This record gives sequence, structure tokens and C-alpha cells, in this order.
Amino acid sequence: MSPICPMSSRAITSDSHSAIQQAPATPLDDMASIMAAYEQRIFRFHLISIRDRDLAKSLTQDTFVRAWSARSTFRGDCSISTWLMRIALNLIRDHTRTDRFRFWKRVSETAIDVSDLSSHLPHRDSSIESRLIANEQMALVWESVAQLSDRQRSVFLLRFLEELELSEIAEITGLPISTVKTHLYRALATIRARHNATHKDSL
Amino acid sequence: MTLHLTHDQLCDLVLASSSTQAESAAADALASSSDVVQAHLLACPLCSAELTSLRDSISHFRDASVSYARQEFAQSYAQRSSIAPPHSYLSQPLYWAAAALIFVAALFPLSMHRQHPISRSLTTAALSSPQRTTESDAALLADIDQKISADVPAPMEPLADPTASATSTSVPRSN
Repeated sequence: MSPICPMSSRAITSDSHSAIQQAPATPLDDMASIMAAYEQRIFRFHLISIRDRDLAKSLTQDTFVRAWSARSTFRGDCSISTWLMRIALNLIRDHTRTDRFRFWKRVSETAIDVSDLSSHLPHRDSSIESRLIANEQMALVWESVAQLSDRQRSVFLLRFLEELELSEIAEITGLPISTVKTHLYRALATIRARHNATHKDSL
Repeated sequence: MTLHLTHDQLCDLVLASSSTQAESAAADALASSSDVVQAHLLACPLCSAELTSLRDSISHFRDASVSYARQEFAQSYAQRSSIAPPHSYLSQPLYWAAAALIFVAALFPLSMHRQHPISRSLTTAALSSPQRTTESDAALLADIDQKISADVPAPMEPLADPTASATSTSVPRSN
């Protein structure tokens, strides 16, 4: 548990019912505004982490339900964004541990593929060659991220997708900054190795 | 032998390039050795090309992911909006009539449920007085016994004991 953000997912889960009944005024009372501000971001993190549309929607809802249930325990020691992201990360961790998730991931029709993302690659350069290279590079990272461990993937996405600072990632994951950096180095090593192998093949 | 950037140095450069604020720890680490690293990048096309390629790959991944997630979110939001009825519909009488109908339909099984306890209470009341039932049975049996053992009316006496007259008229023979 992070010393800065005192809320853990276990506490969020276990205290949810009591929190609903006796909730003092908190910055999280206006959940409609908070959802308007953060829902898309939380959904994006879930979607790219889990790679399943329906599951991402479900986990996004769960994130805000848990946040609402445990709003009385939010002391404002960390930002709302960090707190929500922490809940989201714990939900992903809990969910991906189950065997049921591994099974449904193989057969799910709502699982997203790299081809789904290809059309969303912005093409600042109209050259066909540049588009192909960009598509190949994006696919390379997409496939490499799938090979990472859960922890490495989370840290990588928090850094390179959500563009969070290392200190924020440390708060969300509850890890020391040095450990966060280590996970990032290992994740980048996987991507680099894949990168170099592809380049060797193409030469 | 040509020395290249170490993996950590290259990672620090990638982290620094993706950093949105200058307070990044990676940027701090980079600052201490930036002169040496920058000089090497200028002199070494291999390291420079690899760094550029890594940065571009991650950048493309981020851009595509953000764009894709934005579209999926918009679709999801649109679906939710289409499922929920517009606010103005709630003011229409048809919806209130439908709601009233559903309410009445929901109350019907409840009213049926309430009638059952009355019949059950009657049955329970009947079962709760076994002593009274036993007494009435005993009285009925006693009445039947009384009727059976009642004296036979005079005109019916010959029929009552057919062997009596034969016994009375016959004279016993003496040997």
C-alpha cells in the first residue's frame, strides 16, 4: 500500500457497504462530474489492458461503483485520477488472475485485435510507405505488450499510454519508483528485442 | 570495438521523450549524463536510429490506442443514450398508464396471496379442536348403540326371537 494514497482495493471492497450507509461529504459526492471527467480515461486503460470491449465497459462501471461505495474513505491525499486509476488497476489484476478470464479471452468475440487499431493510426504523412512502416511499428508494440507480465504491462501502459509520471505510477501501483523503473526497463527490453528481430528479418 | 548506449541509457532517453513534465525522475537521471549521451547520439547513427524507431513505435501505439478507445467509448456512450428513454417521454400519459398497469399486475399475485391465509386459518381452526371432534364421534356411536339395544316393539316381537315360540309350545317328552 502506498504511503501517499492510503486506500487499498481490499479496503474499498470490504468497506463498501458501510461506506454507503454512513458517508460524510467528500469530493467524490458529485460522481456525475467525476465520471464525466475520468470515465473515458478509465475505459481506455481497461480497454487496452484487457483488450476486450465488453469487459472494459463492465470494469469501467465497476471502477466507479467501487469509488462511489468507498468515497467516504477518500482523504484527498492523492488526486482523484490517481485514486480511480488505482481502483481500475486492482480490478484488472483481480480479474486477469481468474482461469475464467483466460478461457473467455480465447473465445471472446469482443476481443480486440491489432487490425482494429490499424485504421486508427493517424497518418500525418500521406506516403504509403510511411503508413506501412507506422502500422508495422504499432503492431510490433501491440504484440510485445501482450507478451509482458501483468505488472510490466500495467506500468508500461500507465507510462506510455496514460503518460503518467513515475511518481504517479508508484502511487497507483504501490511500488517504489526504482521498481517502477525496473519494470519499464524490462518492458522496453522486450519491445527492443522484438524490434531488433524484426529489423534483422527485414534486412 | 564501437561502444553503444546501454539499455538503461536508451530507456532513459525513451522515458524522457515521453515525459510531459520536467520533474520526471528519468529526466533527472538523463540530465546528469546528457552531454555524454547526446554526443554519442550525434556520433552513432545506429543508436540514433534505434532510439528514433523506438520512440516512433511507442508513439504510434499510443496514438492508435487513444483514437481507438475514443471511438469505442463514443459508441458505448451512444448505445447507452439510445437505450435510456428521453426525459420528455416520461411526461407522456402513455408511459404513466403502462406503469400503472404494471403496478396493478404486480399487486394481483399479492392479493391472491392474501386470500390463501384465510382458508388456511379455517383449516387450522378445524384442526385445532380435536377434542370436540372426538366428543361428537362418541355421542354418535352412543346413539347408534342405544338404537340397536332399544326394546323391540310389540308387533315385532315374534320376529325378534324366532326360536322363542317353538320353545314355549313344545312339550318336553319324558322318557
